Amino acid sequence: MFIKLYKSLILSLLLIALLSTGCSAGAPASGASGGEVKLILAAYTTPREAYRELIPIFQEQWKEKTGQTVVFEESYQGSGAQSRAVLEGFEADIVALSLEADVIRLENAGLITHDWRSKPFGGMVSTSVVAFAVRQGNPRNIQDWADLAQPDLDILTPNPKTSGGAMWNILGLYGAAQRGHVKGFTADDAGAQDFLLAVLKNVTVMDKSARDSIVNFEKGIGDLAITYENEVLVGQQAGQTYELVLPTSTMQIDNPIAIVDTYADKHGTREVAEAFLDFLFSAEAQQIFAKYGLRSPDPVVAQATADQYPLIEDLFTVAHFGGWGEATPAYFGENGIFFQILGQVQGIQITE
Amino acid sequence: MKNSIANNPALLSRIVQSVDKQKGKWIGWIMIGVVLMYVSVLILAPLIALTVNAFERGLGAVIASFSQSYVLLSFWNTLWIGLIVVSIHAVFGTIVAWVFVRHRFPGRDLINGLVDMPFAVSPVVAGYMLLLLFGRNGLLAPLVEATGIRVAFAFPGMILATLFVTLPFMIRELIPVLEAFDTRQEKAAATLGANGWQTFWRVTFPALRWGMIYGITLTFARALGEFGAVLVIGGAAQGKMMTTTLFIYHALEERQYIGAYSAALALGLFSLVLVLGSDRLRRKGH
Repeated sequence: MFIKLYKSLILSLLLIALLSTGCSAGAPASGASGGEVKLILAAYTTPREAYRELIPIFQEQWKEKTGQTVVFEESYQGSGAQSRAVLEGFEADIVALSLEADVIRLENAGLITHDWRSKPFGGMVSTSVVAFAVRQGNPRNIQDWADLAQPDLDILTPNPKTSGGAMWNILGLYGAAQRGHVKGFTADDAGAQDFLLAVLKNVTVMDKSARDSIVNFEKGIGDLAITYENEVLVGQQAGQTYELVLPTSTMQIDNPIAIVDTYADKHGTREVAEAFLDFLFSAEAQQIFAKYGLRSPDPVVAQATADQYPLIEDLFTVAHFGGWGEATPAYFGENGIFFQILGQVQGIQITE
Repeated sequence: MKNSIANNPALLSRIVQSVDKQKGKWIGWIMIGVVLMYVSVLILAPLIALTVNAFERGLGAVIASFSQSYVLLSFWNTLWIGLIVVSIHAVFGTIVAWVFVRHRFPGRDLINGLVDMPFAVSPVVAGYMLLLLFGRNGLLAPLVEATGIRVAFAFPGMILATLFVTLPFMIRELIPVLEAFDTRQEKAAATLGANGWQTFWRVTFPALRWGMIYGITLTFARALGEFGAVLVIGGAAQGKMMTTTLFIYHALEERQYIGAYSAALALGLFSLVLVLGSDRLRRKGH
């Protein structure tokens, strides 16, 4: 009796599976066939809520203009991991990454051949700043970078090997120290390295992306998460009770977007991809980005949303480190400063 | 009194026995307690926590989360990958186990070790190994280019990744069964005039059946739960290529907790039913 039941269960599963492929086989093929076009977007993890609102608006506009339906295939993972996936053959038409270095990797590989920086705002579709998420009521009284070196503080920051946000965080704390904004540490390389070591000693978990990191923080791990300002604001919108702390000196995060020439031409999607980028740079889309915690690179939109985004006393960019061309090898290369100092610290849990 | 017990071996042995029995009983109860605690802390407690959280906003929210089209699609994808993987391992796993037990050949020990590698290697690493093979700059990139069959960031890659992580189950289930099998039964069948195929089908296969069913179940259950390898080789793409574990991951990142917990619960219960089912089936069969 039981044997029969089990056999019929497995048989019916097989049957269902067979039927379901029969259905999906009839689905339209990818590419610009007929009234449908597919766009593959490979993005870093934190702007996903903004894209959830932006994509339907663009789909409607494009349908109105051309009669064509745009089907989006979205992928979100740590900026570095995403960039390497595209490099290895994940055929994204558009990459929206956390930092320029991850786009440069695709340029060097010959996948991006056009001058993507010629777009508005140098190809940067959104900006943010390196900030802290602290527990409700700020029980550890975190006001600025120097407070991150206090003993017995549990800090979360993602892994620079896979996450762009992690690289911003490390450069943010390093630059703030170099520029003399971290009390108790000298305003030079030695002081910055001492401060980096002190903070890394407090780091308990390094997740693979900025979103993984903040979601772990939400589960109650750690006293503080170093993260994008927009991650904290989006989390608060989703009902989280943690608080945002903006340091007096911090790094401006510039997020690039670019069409991947090789794949867009292969799929024949350049026209719709260009239109999507133009839409994202428009004032309408920039206001939506601002709604989801991202500072707009458009001065007009930035002005209009200024009351949501406090001015940072000492805001610096990657130019402080000589641009990504110099910063990537110097800090995140195999013998870079970050890994040298990480080597002196033990017991950080790195999640895969 | 003393003397009378000492001089009465039957009574003495009865007393000793009853003391032993009493002691045995106590140790038995303690052991059972330990097992119950061990299993409930490690398996039951997380399962209960998951159930409680999934139903936090009532049954309606759970049902609503399953009615989204891409959730069901992810279940089909998972089911399909599992069925394909099981079919392949059922055939090739049996062949590998067979050759292993019946033949001695150079490199046998090496292959024996390699079969267990998927147990030791992190699935994420397995995914990256496949990328190094089938990626745009991979060793087999020219082959991929020539045939036009995409492996990385497509279903074939996800199936390969799942095949990798589930490789040992079938083989490790079958080897002991084959070793315990008395080959004289086959010889007897041959003596009675059965040909090779008849011998296999009538004599060997029935002996292997329960090992196979258990191997298939474990392979299937493991395939359903695979995450790291398919995440890497699948490129974290949402939509058509999402499996249930990938859906759970994305839903958690988007803070859609009810959806994530419900899907996790469904997947867990499905695996549990599979494993318990095959276990009962095996007991009834014996």
